[in-house]
Amino acid sequence: MTLSFDMGAPAAQLRSRLRELVHEHVPDDFLGAFTDDPADLEVAQHFCRTLAEHELLCPAWPKEYGGRGASVWEQTVVREEMWAHHEPRGAQYMGVNWVGPIIMRHGTQEQQRTHLPAIARGDVIWCQGFSEPEAGSDLASLRTTARRDGDSWLVSGQKIWTSYATMAQWCFLLARTTKGEKKQQGLTIFLVPMDDPAIQVRPIRAMLGPHHLNEVFFDDLRVTEADVLGTVDDGWSIVQEVTSFERVGIARYARCERLLVAAPTVLGDRWDDLSTELRGRWVRMLTHCRRARLMAYRIVELQNTGRVRPGDAAAYRIAVTKLDQDSAEVLMDIAAEVSHDDPRAAWFLAEVDDHWKYSQASTVSSGSIEMQRILLSRSLLAAAK
Amino acid sequence: MTSMVLDLSEDAREFGHQALRAFEAAGGDQLVQQAEAKPDIRESLIGPILGGLGAWELDPRTDVDGLEAAAALCRSAGYWAVPYPVAERLAAPTDLDVDGLLVVAETRPSAAVAGLESRWAAVTLDGVRSRVTGQGANGPAFVTELQLAALDDQGAADVALALTLPCWTLLGMLDRAIELTVAHVSLRKQFGQTLSAFQSVQFQLTDAEVERSGLDILAKYTLWSVGTGGAEALNDALALRMSAIEAAEVVFRVCHQLHGAVGFCDETTLSWLSRYSQPLRRLPLGLSATRDLLTRSVGGAGLKGLFT
Repeated sequence: MTLSFDMGAPAAQLRSRLRELVHEHVPDDFLGAFTDDPADLEVAQHFCRTLAEHELLCPAWPKEYGGRGASVWEQTVVREEMWAHHEPRGAQYMGVNWVGPIIMRHGTQEQQRTHLPAIARGDVIWCQGFSEPEAGSDLASLRTTARRDGDSWLVSGQKIWTSYATMAQWCFLLARTTKGEKKQQGLTIFLVPMDDPAIQVRPIRAMLGPHHLNEVFFDDLRVTEADVLGTVDDGWSIVQEVTSFERVGIARYARCERLLVAAPTVLGDRWDDLSTELRGRWVRMLTHCRRARLMAYRIVELQNTGRVRPGDAAAYRIAVTKLDQDSAEVLMDIAAEVSHDDPRAAWFLAEVDDHWKYSQASTVSSGSIEMQRILLSRSLLAAAK
Repeated sequence: MTSMVLDLSEDAREFGHQALRAFEAAGGDQLVQQAEAKPDIRESLIGPILGGLGAWELDPRTDVDGLEAAAALCRSAGYWAVPYPVAERLAAPTDLDVDGLLVVAETRPSAAVAGLESRWAAVTLDGVRSRVTGQGANGPAFVTELQLAALDDQGAADVALALTLPCWTLLGMLDRAIELTVAHVSLRKQFGQTLSAFQSVQFQLTDAEVERSGLDILAKYTLWSVGTGGAEALNDALALRMSAIEAAEVVFRVCHQLHGAVGFCDETTLSWLSRYSQPLRRLPLGLSATRDLLTRSVGGAGLKGLFT
């Protein structure tokens, strides 16, 4: 088998079908579901239901759970197109990408019946209750506790940086049930409804978007055995699986490329008036987009064959998050040259502004770049032993 | 949906392994040192190894298997800093009676062919071909200025391959530089612990590895692009070359820093790799000129990707 980087005609067809759906159902100025305009959330909810009707919301899921067993490359196309177009699935990408698959692996029949069809229909938003004020990268140090109270537990504590908590119906919650010998022991995953009065959500206004970050407070939230995912005290192994689902992460390179490619069109004849230096930075970023995309494909392939190592994924994550920030700087410099009379100027300027703000978090969220560096260096040094 | 193939064929990788072993058996790191002492022996020193491997039977222009094997061979040659223009020989055009092809700049055309009596053609980045008729004085890393006799302007189709294969040589050098540096920081102790125990050292290593790893997959993509003969091949090759030079700058800077003073010494392989990487990084054009050329070449259309 010789090299081939062609996904083939079916991938191209899927890509154009997704673009048609986005064009038809998502306003051109959509900048994500988490703005101050409630209509944006409705756009995302409607779009998820539309994707579900077209069997495109969770195509990779097995048929019995509402999917159609699509290939990893089809999933890759979906991931790229959604992120490139400001993730019109809103928060639901998490349910599709990892909450659902994790429940398939570890959920009881009852949990699967309750949660999987709702995710597959595009009806439900999940949030992830992991990070805490004193447990960010060092997640296993978390302090939220679930203490035994008869046949159930009472959960108390605080989560922070919880995306989508204001709109989520369910939380994938990690809490300490036992003080283990190691801090990774004694943790348990609970699937909890967010409408319980024992849960309070406080939004944190931030430049990433007004409804993106939240604090979540648990004040003696009662949970039962039926809410436990997997085994009590063995939640850390599930956290590791969640991390592995997130290894490829969001296709940041796709949005970078979409905006970079749009820039010459927005500037029209004035593109050639930009300094050679700026256009050189632009083409450098396009090359880095390609590089990051290919690195992502390599991880997808390794994951598909079960050969991916944490270091491989970390190298990609470092490359793509740096790309996100580097390309944002170049795009901001190009945006400064855009005249408000240029075609699509308003669209481009809003997109680039949003991209720059959001990119600042790319080396912090979903596993900071420092954690990725630790994983990669461990892998490099271990190989030398 | 078509399944992509993101790595060289098993045969090509095996050929690359055989080449690694053959270069090692012939002297490994000593080869470049012997050649530096006596540049005139380069052909007799390296030619038989390549001949024994069957390098000159490879047909990278019309046979995809041959193209991948050629790339693997170049990478292995880079790993040992083999003092011979392997990539340039493999890029020989089929319509001229020459042994190899050198991509040259329009001003001061130069190449690392000092001490070799092979028959060379040269091609500029816009496809103007010449025959190499003489060489100037020997410079560092076997670089010499070339005297050229004009031939034609039919070489544009040859440029992409001739730019791509040397990037594979450079990639092999980066493989080795990182391997050597990981080994060094795992052994060398300061303040009672190995250098690898310091997080600042670990993090610098990751800077280098991200560049090497990214170049690895970009080189494979570009090889595929060149092999399929699409209209984008030249821009893809220029993009690869720009990335390869950038990667080399990061990798060698990190590797030198982490080796410390010993990395400059002749007894340390990194020192040889680093200085013999220079022609690959500067010729035919360095980073700025390569980027400028790519910028002009792609215009506002950009590179082929998800949205073009």
